[in-house]
Amino acid sequence: MTLEALVAIIAGALVSGSLYALMASGLSLVWGTVRMFNFAHGALVMVGAYSAWYVSNRGGIAKALQPIGKSIVASSEDSGALGSLLLPLGEWILSIKGGFGLALGVPFAILCCGLVGYIMYVLLVKPFVGKPGADLIVIITTIAGASFMQNGVQVIFGPRYKQLDRILKGPPLQILETAIGLQEVLIIILTPLTLFLLHLFLKHSKLGLAIRAVAQNDDFAHLVGINVSQIYPLTFVVSSILAGLCGVMLGGLFFILPTMGAQELLFAFVVVVFGGLGSLPGTIVGAYVIGFIRESSAYIIDLYWAPVVLFATLIIVLIFRPRGLMGGEDS
Amino acid sequence: MLFQVEGLVSGYGKIDVVRSLSLHVDEGEHVGLFGPNGHGKTTLLRTVSGLIPAKAGKVRFRGEDISNLDARLIVERGLIHVPQGNQLFPQMTVQENLTLGAYVRRSDSRKASNFEKVFALFPRLQERRAQQARTLSGGERQMLSIGVGLMGMPELLLLDEPSVGLAPLIKEELARAIAEIAATGVSMIVVDQDVELLLGICDRLYLIEKGAVSLETADVSQVDQAEILEMYFGKVT
Ligand SMILES: Nc1ncnc2c1ncn2[C@@H]1O[C@H](COP(=O)(O)OP(=O)(O)OP(=O)(O)O)[C@@H](O)[C@H]1O
Ligand SMILES: [Mg+2]
Repeated sequence: MTLEALVAIIAGALVSGSLYALMASGLSLVWGTVRMFNFAHGALVMVGAYSAWYVSNRGGIAKALQPIGKSIVASSEDSGALGSLLLPLGEWILSIKGGFGLALGVPFAILCCGLVGYIMYVLLVKPFVGKPGADLIVIITTIAGASFMQNGVQVIFGPRYKQLDRILKGPPLQILETAIGLQEVLIIILTPLTLFLLHLFLKHSKLGLAIRAVAQNDDFAHLVGINVSQIYPLTFVVSSILAGLCGVMLGGLFFILPTMGAQELLFAFVVVVFGGLGSLPGTIVGAYVIGFIRESSAYIIDLYWAPVVLFATLIIVLIFRPRGLMGGEDS
Repeated sequence: MLFQVEGLVSGYGKIDVVRSLSLHVDEGEHVGLFGPNGHGKTTLLRTVSGLIPAKAGKVRFRGEDISNLDARLIVERGLIHVPQGNQLFPQMTVQENLTLGAYVRRSDSRKASNFEKVFALFPRLQERRAQQARTLSGGERQMLSIGVGLMGMPELLLLDEPSVGLAPLIKEELARAIAEIAATGVSMIVVDQDVELLLGICDRLYLIEKGAVSLETADVSQVDQAEILEMYFGKVT
């Protein structure tokens, strides 16, 4: 293998590892705390990408506002004093026909995903918490929720593929003759940063500590006064925001479409099982390892064989370590 | 009267484990509960602290009916339950466990001074503050469990079997610590199989059988302790 090929594999592994890490850490957080698998987690990737696109892109809210802007400007011309007040508003609306950019798009996506995550918890999960068979029921309800969101987005935004603007514009980075796109570089840098923020939140904030407490011993969490029924939705919100960020990053790499996130969800499940259920460090290490296996097998063997190699590795690891790479004894 | 249970009924599913149980604790008093295994002592404490619902009866704390209040609201009132089997947050450090003990609003602002108090009582915890709870010895875990309870600034402390499964030396150390806590004026209910340990700490004892109080002693300093022991071991064969 040439050195260039190695660089390409490593860069690819870091990019897909980053995306899996963002997806899988949320999945793992929810599993650890609420003891349920959220099959709508992939749809949140799509929600993140579409909401960022809607605010940032010229085809989104900016386009929808143009007729309103025009009619305000038109009406301000023939209505005296009020008109002179309305005119700047109309002109401002017309001036943003290029969209609000990602500086507003990304915060909006975070807000949307957090909100959707909360609503999802209230509608699809909360009614079943503590009931017998809840974990199975929630698999079905979240699959239903995902399908609802995908079809809803299809109806609202239509079937045309969309793409997010690239944050950094410019020629790709050259490392040993291998070109690495700036979007990829950004993902490689921003993901560990995001995961570090997640770590700080879980380790040092009061709410983060409470999330871990509920995950480890919810009876005792009640006895120290934690409002356990509030921690569950909080966990969904945090995990949905992570999925949304994954969507924002993906949306700058590939086309945005209603079914996006499904493949990432599958890989995220592999990562969570591979790394050890409920172990966040295991999940993150697992994500990059899986990313590396995928990229190298895609390069060395064939892209279509990558999933086969991946699942074979997973099975072998589980034979020797049934609780995954870093799964605890009993947690 | 600080605390009063009246005709309490609770259990699991359709089965009643606590059956019309009544007892009380005066301000500053230390009360011991003992009795055979599986007769509902733990279930009583779990009902009092809001982990399982009361089916009938009342639990009053400072005159207010707290039965079936959310567990966290009961903690917020200063009624703190240190559960049986030194339950902890196993994958967290000693320090993190204690920090969580001060989760409620009433103790959050006094965290620093409470840390000092707990470490003064259990110096070993201070040495091991960065160690994960799951790696502690049985005695240390029990100390930590009680320490977490103290971080919540109890006005009534419920201790469920603090001495169970401990070697004699550790048990004595723990009994001394509990007596020290008692001496600070915190009211207490201590559940334990070791009646001698209870006699060393408590003002009064209740014998719990089949989910109800079957015997109540007068002030233990006024009665012959040997008599109590005989009474207990005579009844339970
Ligand atoms: N979660 C549960 N579900 C069903 N039954 C339970 C549960 N917990 C306890 N029990 C039953 O309730 C009864 C009383 O148990 P409890 O733990 O209150 O007794 P205890 O007096 O504390 O005993 P010990 O001295 O052994 O701690 C027992 O028969 C027990 O099997
Ligand atoms: Mg018990």
